Amino acid sequence: METEKTLLVIEDEPAILTFLRSSLEDKGWHVEEARTARIGLELAARKKPDAILLDLGLPDKDGLQALKELRKWTSAPVIIVSARGQETDKIAGLDAGADDYLTKPFGIKELLARLRVAMRHASQRPEDAPPLYDHAGLKVDLIGRRVWLRKKEVHLSPLQYDLLAVLVRNAGRVVSQSQLMKEVWGEEREVTPELVRITVHQLRHKIEPDPVRPRSLKTEAGVGYRLEAGED
Amino acid sequence: MISPFWRDYGFATVIVAACTALSFLIYPHLELTNLVMIYLVGTLVVAGRGRRGPAALASALSVLCFDYFFVPPRFRFSVSDVQYLWTFAVMFGAAMIISQLTIRLREEAEVARESEQRGTWLMEKAKKAELEAETERMRSSLLSSVSHDLRTPLTAIVGSAGALLAKEPLRKAPGVRVLLENIQEEGERLSHLVQNLLEVTRLESGVRLQKSQYPLEEVVGTSLERLGSLLKGRKIQTHLPENLPLIPMDPALMEQVFINLLENGLRHTPAGSPLEVSAKVDGKGVLVTVADKGPGLKEGELERVFGKFYHDPSSPGAGLGLAICRAVVNAHGGHIWAEHRPGGGAMFRFVLPLGDTHGN
Repeated sequence: METEKTLLVIEDEPAILTFLRSSLEDKGWHVEEARTARIGLELAARKKPDAILLDLGLPDKDGLQALKELRKWTSAPVIIVSARGQETDKIAGLDAGADDYLTKPFGIKELLARLRVAMRHASQRPEDAPPLYDHAGLKVDLIGRRVWLRKKEVHLSPLQYDLLAVLVRNAGRVVSQSQLMKEVWGEEREVTPELVRITVHQLRHKIEPDPVRPRSLKTEAGVGYRLEAGED
Repeated sequence: MISPFWRDYGFATVIVAACTALSFLIYPHLELTNLVMIYLVGTLVVAGRGRRGPAALASALSVLCFDYFFVPPRFRFSVSDVQYLWTFAVMFGAAMIISQLTIRLREEAEVARESEQRGTWLMEKAKKAELEAETERMRSSLLSSVSHDLRTPLTAIVGSAGALLAKEPLRKAPGVRVLLENIQEEGERLSHLVQNLLEVTRLESGVRLQKSQYPLEEVVGTSLERLGSLLKGRKIQTHLPENLPLIPMDPALMEQVFINLLENGLRHTPAGSPLEVSAKVDGKGVLVTVADKGPGLKEGELERVFGKFYHDPSSPGAGLGLAICRAVVNAHGGHIWAEHRPGGGAMFRFVLPLGDTHGN
């Protein structure tokens, strides 16, 4: 096993802490626990964790506030945990520098997948990202700007390709609506959330065998989109 | 009963009569012209009631009474000295001017009072709006804290079952896996139920819809994704035209509608029988159909299934799902109903209106 990684879990519910610790330790993580944001910030400074899991509903301090303070001095991946129906919090968290999020109730598999992707993105610079994406019959070559579905080449409009490319560079990670607007359309061009949705819709009809039940380009309701992590 | 209109004229007459009576008492002791003052005061009292007609009547009657009763020759309208004609003119003029000024003053005071009242009314209205916004904020925060409290133990239950399932040796023990999967799946179902209850509370407490334009396909997609393992072994056929216009909707609530309709279909049809979701433009809206090939609905059930807590005793379910569907669709300005599916099965259909901005 490689050197043990440390995960700092900032969560006030003991029952959730118990199951997280048990299953994460099985998977080779060292777990540090903090029941309040204040202790969490303190431990983050002292233990220098490799990743942080942060509940947005903490008793002593707003989780978002804690996130902003963390982001002043650490770039360790932060995954936020929040309930359904609190999508605005999730978006604010992603804007404030969180890498990804989990919605309660979540499973350990989901958490491990998010951690894997976040760790990978944290360890590589964007220009070092693999230029080839391959998942569920969808192949994207970022250097040759070419896309295939089930070995047949797919022709995308420049806008559709740009959108797909942003998702490929963030493969496995959620990309918020506003992040897509910024990275695909740029600051200067007029763009609405509706236009993003229409572009995703059209893209799905080209790269998904069944666009209603996408296998690669998933919707993160109320937040944005996620391209499933590619096969290594 | 005298109408209020004539009552003020009567009042004017009575006042002038009273002034005349008073003048009879004073007449022996004072200069004749001083009596004019008494009549002027009387006119002022009439004008104080705020109407121009009775004030003018009082002015005219005052002059006539003064002339008839007091100006020599007394008890006759003729006048011995021409200078009294001047006195009458000045007296009438003064009475008219004083009464008109009094009335105007009174009217201005009234306008001022009315606008003050209006101001108070507006302020009360603003306060009420503020209070309503505050109540809505409180409801929302109450809902999210209830949601947090319900979901925290669920997260621990579902997560713990998942954590146990991930432990290799344990999973291989006889019977353990089935039980753990049971805990996990039922926990997820409970979480759907909690979601349903929260949505119905949200709707009934009047929290506003978060509407925006969405492709129907995306919302159907997230519903199917959230149903996840519950759809195991089922074929879900979808017929959603690629060029279907965007529909203004609250995506979280519409997702709940599809989840509820599909769960309802799953519950009432035999395992393995297919479900179908289709949509098409219909006039100024989009007609959505969720159909199954189960035993269908009985004749009297078509409307009753949408009632809150209605449920078929032969199957599980709290009977909230379809009631929520109706509440959500109605909140979107649409309507929902059930039909018999030609060839057997049940068909739930609803129409969502397209906004003015569709078709981009």
